[in-house]
Amino acid sequence: MSTATYAMRRNQNLARTGTELKLGPVSATVVMILTITVLALLYLNQITKSSVFGYQLSALQAQQKQALQSKQALEVEAARLTSIQQIQNSQAVKGLVPTTQVTYAK
Amino acid sequence: MQSLGQNLRVSSLKFVVVVLGVLIVSRLVDLQIIQYSHYRQLAFSEHQRKYEIPAARGQIYVKDGDNKVPLALNQTLKLVYADPSIMEDKASAATKLAAVTGDPADKLLDALNKGHEYAVLKTRVDEKMAAAITSLHLRGVGMVNQDYRTYPEGSLASQALGFVNNDGDGQYGVEGFLNTELKGNPGQLNAKTDTNGVPIATTDNVIKQPTDGTGLVLTLDRNIQSQAETFLKQGVEEVKAESGSVVVLDPDTGAVKAMANYPTYDPNDYTKVADYTTFSNSVVTNQFEPGSVFKVFTMAAGLDLGKVKPDSTYTDNGCEQVSGYKVCNAENHHEGPNTTMTVVLRDSLNTGVMYILKLLGTDPNKITSTSKQSFRSFITDHFKFGKRTGIEQQGEASGYVPPPTSSDVTFANMSFGQGISTTMIQVAAAVGAIANGGKLYQPYVVAERDKADGSVQKTAPKVINPKVISKQTATDLGNMMEVVVHHGSGYRAFTPGYKIAGKTGTAQIPNPNGPGYIEGVNIGSFAGFAPIEDPKFVVMVRVNKPKVAGFAESTTVPIFANLTRWLLQYYAVPPSG
Repeated sequence: MSTATYAMRRNQNLARTGTELKLGPVSATVVMILTITVLALLYLNQITKSSVFGYQLSALQAQQKQALQSKQALEVEAARLTSIQQIQNSQAVKGLVPTTQVTYAK
Repeated sequence: MQSLGQNLRVSSLKFVVVVLGVLIVSRLVDLQIIQYSHYRQLAFSEHQRKYEIPAARGQIYVKDGDNKVPLALNQTLKLVYADPSIMEDKASAATKLAAVTGDPADKLLDALNKGHEYAVLKTRVDEKMAAAITSLHLRGVGMVNQDYRTYPEGSLASQALGFVNNDGDGQYGVEGFLNTELKGNPGQLNAKTDTNGVPIATTDNVIKQPTDGTGLVLTLDRNIQSQAETFLKQGVEEVKAESGSVVVLDPDTGAVKAMANYPTYDPNDYTKVADYTTFSNSVVTNQFEPGSVFKVFTMAAGLDLGKVKPDSTYTDNGCEQVSGYKVCNAENHHEGPNTTMTVVLRDSLNTGVMYILKLLGTDPNKITSTSKQSFRSFITDHFKFGKRTGIEQQGEASGYVPPPTSSDVTFANMSFGQGISTTMIQVAAAVGAIANGGKLYQPYVVAERDKADGSVQKTAPKVINPKVISKQTATDLGNMMEVVVHHGSGYRAFTPGYKIAGKTGTAQIPNPNGPGYIEGVNIGSFAGFAPIEDPKFVVMVRVNKPKVAGFAESTTVPIFANLTRWLLQYYAVPPSG
């Protein structure tokens, strides 16, 4: 063994040659299909999620509509019960005596 | 030979494959390129639908003191319908439904027999009744939400308010006049739908938000309106009249406090009204000959143009000759010499106002073109008779003032309110100008607009003419009208402790089928204000075709008196001594 060979061995860990990674045609196709599949699943997942949210939103909107209708019905009922006709027909008002003489404090 | 046959088969197969390929590609080109738009539209319409988002109609309120009370509200209720073509036993279904709705079973059965695939069985069904109908599990019967207008105060102010018809359009009154403003603008939703047609919320849905209609607060006061309606009904029924109207106005703003008509109707049940004239607010839509109430404005012209004073005198001969016609006072009234202008109004002398008309011209002894022009100009340019007031009511009439080219006798009649037509709101606004010292305000019923963006727009009173008459003329007229109430035809309105101004009018009704007037019928009217020293309100009453003998003093004055006395208490006006 020559001196030069020993020198090379001494420095053998200082430099490394890169390993060449090569995919064959089948492996490349499989990786590509897998990537497309994952992306497709992610897309489907998002679409399904937005659809589900859409249904939830529709359900909430229906609930809101129902609540508004109930509120409207209560408002109308309250207005009817406090209408001047109802007041005039109430027993309490019927029992009132009309004023005949009003005296004003100066 | 075998090789040749094989080649032929292979060639034929190749040819077939190529032909098929060409056909498939051609079809694909046809479908995907040439007919692209068509199929895209088909696919689009399959899962994309357009929806109109309705705008909420503006609600209407009236004042009750400082509070707002609802007069017109929106309510979503159900409409019950049926598809009679798939119903097995219509009679049984009608009976079951009738038990829940309270409608006659034969009426429901009739609707089912008449409808082929769609029959409306009931409208305005509330949640409780809807649940009861659902529990019947009737095949072919369904319900759908529908927006309705509800009037919780029933018939209160119905003609001033109007109603909303089945198409969602306002009719008559405020609902009709301000329909566009109340209705708002619907929005639009272009939504992707699922297989059942249910819209799915996605980011690319195109939405145009609806703009809700403007809410209104009216100037009407619920209590005054109610009392006006009560006294009007009572008064009209007592004199067995065909109809009647009342208007109450604030003379310092032109705000209408009450507008009542009798007979009236409930806008919740407007379909039950047989006579469509009942829908009209006669205070603004009906023009009529005002009769002697108009003498106040002829007197105003004489006073304001400096031709007469309250104590100016003339000789009342009972009748005057005008262009060959004899024009007389009512009931052959004859005051003789030294009759004052105050007496002219007190005793409602036709000769007195004809005397003023003559004074307005160049020759005090006859009606001239100058007197006609001067008089006409005064009542049209100052008091705006013959022009719509612009009040927020559908179908307002303008009235009619004959042109100066009309005959002398026409103008003689006009001076005491015949041959001229006005509306009650015009007369009330003009009397308001006398009450407030000479300012003519535009009468209005909308006090406040509540916009969809949350802003509130209050209506400012609008002065049409800041000085229709001088303050002195207004004071003189007020005092002369007070004499009418104290000592004249308005005596039934006299109220101890209060100074009330007013003037009666009894007008004949023109014959619609020819010249002259209808015999034996009249229109009674009374316009006035109180208290004279600081007027709080103007009231005008009109009674059509009363069936009792006498003039307006026995038909309209009692209604005016009852309402005025109530108003004096309502406004807490102390007696002036």
